[in-house]
Amino acid sequence: MRDATYWKTVVANRLRERGLDPTLHASVIEELAQHLDERYRSLSRDTDSALAERLTIEELDDNESLTAARPDRGGLERELIHHERRAGAFRSELGQAPSESLLNGVLQDVRYAGRTLAKNRGFTAVAALTLALGVAVNTTIFSVINAVMLRPLPYAEPDRLVRIWESNPALGWPQFSASHPNFLDWRTHTRSMDSLVAVSSANFAITAPEGAQIVRAVTATADFLPALGITPALGRNFTRDEDRPGGENRVLLLTDGFWRRAFGAAPEIVGTTISLNGNSYTVIGVLPPTFDWGVNTDLLVPLVPDPARPRGDHRLTVFGRLKSGISIDQAHADLSTIAADLATRYPESNDGWGVRTATFYDWLIPQAIRESLLVLQVAVGLVLLIACVNVANLLLARGAARQKELAIRIAIGASRQRIIRQVLIEALVLSAIGSAAGLALAAMVIPLLVAHGPATVPRLDEVSIDSRVMLWSMASAACAALLFGLIPAVQAGREQARDALQDSGRGSTSGAGRQRTRHLLTVAEVALSVTLLIGAGLLLRSFAQLQTVDPGFAVPSLMSARVMLPTRANFAEPAQRVAFWNRLTEEVRALPGIAAVSTTSGAPLAGIGNTSTELEVPGVQPRRGEQPSAGWRIVTPDYFATMGIPLRGRDFSPAAGADAGPYTIISESLARRYWPNGDALGKPIVIRSLGNRAHTIVGIAGDVRSGGLDADAIPTVYLSGIAAPFGNPMFLVWRTMADADTEAAAVREVVRRIDPTVPVFEVTTFDDLLSRSFGPRRFNLYLLGTFAAVALVMSAVGLFGVMAYLVSQRRREMGVRLALGADRGALFRLVIGRGLVLASTGALIGIAGAFWLTRLMTNLLYSVSPTDPLTFAAVTVCVVAVSLLACYVPARRATRVDPLTALRGE
Amino acid sequence: MTAIVDRILDRELKKGSAELVILALVEARPRHGYEISQIIEQRSNGDIKFKVASLYPLLYRLERRGWIAGTWVEKEGQRRRRYYRLTREGRRVLAEQRKGWQRFVAAINRITEAGHA
Repeated sequence: MRDATYWKTVVANRLRERGLDPTLHASVIEELAQHLDERYRSLSRDTDSALAERLTIEELDDNESLTAARPDRGGLERELIHHERRAGAFRSELGQAPSESLLNGVLQDVRYAGRTLAKNRGFTAVAALTLALGVAVNTTIFSVINAVMLRPLPYAEPDRLVRIWESNPALGWPQFSASHPNFLDWRTHTRSMDSLVAVSSANFAITAPEGAQIVRAVTATADFLPALGITPALGRNFTRDEDRPGGENRVLLLTDGFWRRAFGAAPEIVGTTISLNGNSYTVIGVLPPTFDWGVNTDLLVPLVPDPARPRGDHRLTVFGRLKSGISIDQAHADLSTIAADLATRYPESNDGWGVRTATFYDWLIPQAIRESLLVLQVAVGLVLLIACVNVANLLLARGAARQKELAIRIAIGASRQRIIRQVLIEALVLSAIGSAAGLALAAMVIPLLVAHGPATVPRLDEVSIDSRVMLWSMASAACAALLFGLIPAVQAGREQARDALQDSGRGSTSGAGRQRTRHLLTVAEVALSVTLLIGAGLLLRSFAQLQTVDPGFAVPSLMSARVMLPTRANFAEPAQRVAFWNRLTEEVRALPGIAAVSTTSGAPLAGIGNTSTELEVPGVQPRRGEQPSAGWRIVTPDYFATMGIPLRGRDFSPAAGADAGPYTIISESLARRYWPNGDALGKPIVIRSLGNRAHTIVGIAGDVRSGGLDADAIPTVYLSGIAAPFGNPMFLVWRTMADADTEAAAVREVVRRIDPTVPVFEVTTFDDLLSRSFGPRRFNLYLLGTFAAVALVMSAVGLFGVMAYLVSQRRREMGVRLALGADRGALFRLVIGRGLVLASTGALIGIAGAFWLTRLMTNLLYSVSPTDPLTFAAVTVCVVAVSLLACYVPARRATRVDPLTALRGE
Repeated sequence: MTAIVDRILDRELKKGSAELVILALVEARPRHGYEISQIIEQRSNGDIKFKVASLYPLLYRLERRGWIAGTWVEKEGQRRRRYYRLTREGRRVLAEQRKGWQRFVAAINRITEAGHA
C-alpha cells in the first residue's frame, strides 16, 4: 500500500528528471502527489495494488501532453515556476531555495514550525507545559539569586567597603564586635583606610497620641554616610563635632519611610526638634529613599565613641572604606599590626585579640544563603534538564511519525544541515512558547515566594523580574531548546532517506538508534530525579531531626514582649527600675489566664540580647589567650519556672538585697565544663563584664538553645535583675492559658496603666519564634521538595511515554507471541522488566550523582550525613515504585493485545 | 470508441476547448484538481480523460492568466487541498469561449448535416 508520502517522492523524482529543482516546488508536489494518491486508492479498489501503482505512475508519463504536443513547448516548467511564485509560502516545507536569503529561510521555517505545532495540539501542549515548568522554576530561583547576590549593593564603590571585627579564635569568637577604645585606636593609626566608621543600633521611646511607641535608630559616627556614598535628601550630614564626647550629640536624620509615615513628608521638619526618651533632638536632615542598612530603621543618630569605656566591652559594628588602590589583604595586615600593638600595650584586655576583615558583599550576603541559593539553582537546573529530556523524548516519539516527512525532504534534495535547521527551529519555537508560559508562571510564583521567604535572606523583598532575569530565562529556554532539539535533529539528519522510507513502510519496528536514544534519555531522567529527591530527602531528614531537638525550655503557650524604660529621671535610679519591673510582673501575674511571668534581658530564639563575657574561675588556670567565657543574661525571679527550664539549687529572690552577695545561676554546660564532678553549687566565679566581681553559684539551670535548635547551647551565666537591674529593654515572658492576642492586649494595657511613656513592642509567642527560626530550612525544604516532586512526576511521565510507545511498537510481536502460546503474564513481566531495567539503571546513576552533589549541601544539613543510607534507600525504593506504576498501564495494555487484531493490523 | 474518435477528441481538446471545459467546471463552485478530473471522466463516460501530466500544467496556466485562482483549503479531518475558483476575468473568458464553442459546433453541425440533406 502506497501513501501520499510515497507519491511525493515519486513526483519529486520526476521533476528532478525533468531538470527542475524539487525543493522549489513543494506546493506542486503536494498537489500532484495528492491527486496520484487518490487515483491510486480508487484504482486499488478494482485491481491489485501493483497494477494500480503502475497505472497511477502512468498519469505522470504523458510525455506527449507534457512536452511534445503542447502549443507552448516547455510549458510545464514555466507553469511550475510561475505557480510556485504565487504559492511560495509553502516552499519551506521542502527546502530552501539557493537564491533565498538565510533570514527568509529561517522565517519560513519559523512559520512552518508554528503551523506544525498548531496542528499537533496535544503534543505542543504537553511539551510546552513541561518546558514552562522547567523555565518557571529556573526563572524564579534566578530572580532570587539576581536580587540577593547579583545586584550591586546600594552603596558607592561597594568593593572598597570592608567590614572589620575583633577576633579571638581561641575563645571560639572568630568575629566579634569591637570595643570603643580599640575602634578609636584603629581609626587613629590606620594607613589603609580612607575612613573608619562605628555603627550600632538603639531603640528610643517616643510618645504618640496612641501611646508610647518604639522607634529604631541606627547610631553611627559622623563618617557613616560619606563612607557609604550617601548624601541626605534634605538637610545635612552630621558634623565632626556631633559625634564627639561633649559635642552637640542630640541631632538626628529621619529615614525616608519614617519621615513620610510620621511627618507626612513635610520638608519643614528639618530644623525642628522631636523628643526621644524624653530628651529633645534636632532634626538635621532626611535620608534618601535608597538608604538601606539592612534593618528597619526610622532614625540615624550620632554614635559617640567613648575612649573611657572598657577595652574588653565589645559592642561596635565597624566598617571602613579602603584607600584607593589598597587591597583588603593589605588592610587586614595594617589593622592586624595595630591590634598586635594594642595587645602588647593592654594585655589584660587585648591579649589574644586580633582583627578579621571581610568585604561588604561577604558580610551582607552570608555564605550560608549563597550556598543554599546555589544548591537551589543546581536543583532547578536539574528540573529543567529533566524537562528537556522529556521533551526530547516526546520529539523522538513524534519523530517516528515525522521520519517519513524528513526522509522525503532528504530524498528530494534537502541537505542534512537544512533538515537539522528545520528541526532545531521547531524546537526553538516550542521553547519560545514554553519560556513565555514559564515567565508568566514565574511572575505569579515570585510574589508568593517573597511573601513566604525567610527574613534572614537579605534583599528578598527586592526580587523581581528585571531584564537580567528575562535574559536568563530566555537564554536557559534557548539552551534547553538546543538540548532537546539537537538529539532528534541529529537523529533526523542521520536517517538515510531510503532506510527511513522502508522502515516506516513496515511500521512494526522503529529505528533501533532512535529507540536506544529514548531509553538513554529515560535513564538520564530517572537519574536526575533520584539525585534531586535525595537532596530533598536529606533536607527533610534534617528538618525532622531538628523537630526532635529539645530547645531546653517549654515552648507551647509561652509568650514574650519587649518593654523599654525611657532613660529619663523617673528611671534613673536602679531602685526605680526594680520597682517598675516588680510592679509590672505583679500586675501581669494578676491577669486572668496567666500561669507565670518573669523578665529577661535576652529571650531564647529572639536573636537579641546574646552578649558574652569573659570569666575567671578560681582554681582554673587558663592557657594564654584562652580566657573562659560565657553568654550572660539578666533575669528576674521565676524566670526558670516561667520558661520551664529545669533548675537545681535555688532561684533568685524577689527580696531587695537578697542576691547582692553577689550570686549567680549558671547553665548546666558551664557547670560541667569547670566542675566536672558536679560540685559547682556554692563555688565562686568572676564575671568580668559585671564589675569583675566574684559571684557565688546558687543554682544550675538547664541548657537552652538560644540561637535556634540547630545551634549548640551557649554556656551562660544568669544574674539577678533585682541585684543588677541593667537590662533595658527587657523581655517580659509569660505563660498563659488564654488566647495570645487577648493576652497581648491585656499586657499592653497593664504597661500603659503603670507608665504611659513606656513602649511595648515585638509581642509574640515562642511558637512563632521557633517557627521563624526554622524559616530558612523550611524555605529550602519546600523549594527543593517541590522541585524534586516535579522532577519525579516528569520522569514518571517520561517513563510511561517510553513504555507505552514500546508496547504500541511491539504489538505485532506480542500478538505473534500470544498466538504461539505465550501466556499473558509473561508479556506483562516483559514490559515491567524492561521498565525496571531502565528505572534501576537510572536510579544507580542518580545515586552516584547524589554522592557527588550532596556534598554541596553539607552546611544545609542537620545531624544527617550527606550520604545518609536511609535517605538513599528510601528514595531509591520510592523512585523504583513510581517507575513500576508508570510501567503498569503499558504492561496491562500489552496483556490485552488481541493476537488477531495485532496480526491483521496495518 | 474508435481510435479515430479518440484522436479527434484529443486533438480538439488540445486546440483550446480543454480550457473551456475547466472554466465551465469551476463556474458553479470551486473544485480541486482530482475532482475536476473525475467529473470530466464521469460526464464524458470515460471518453475524455485528463492525466495529471496534462491537467495541472493547464490549471497553472489558467491561473497564471488570472482566469482561475487556486487556494489551499484545510477542512476538519481532511488533508488540505488546492481549490480552484473562477475569477471575474475567467467568467468573461468563459462566456466568450462558450459563445465561440456553440458557434463552432453549430457551424460544424450545419456543414456535416448538410451532406445528408
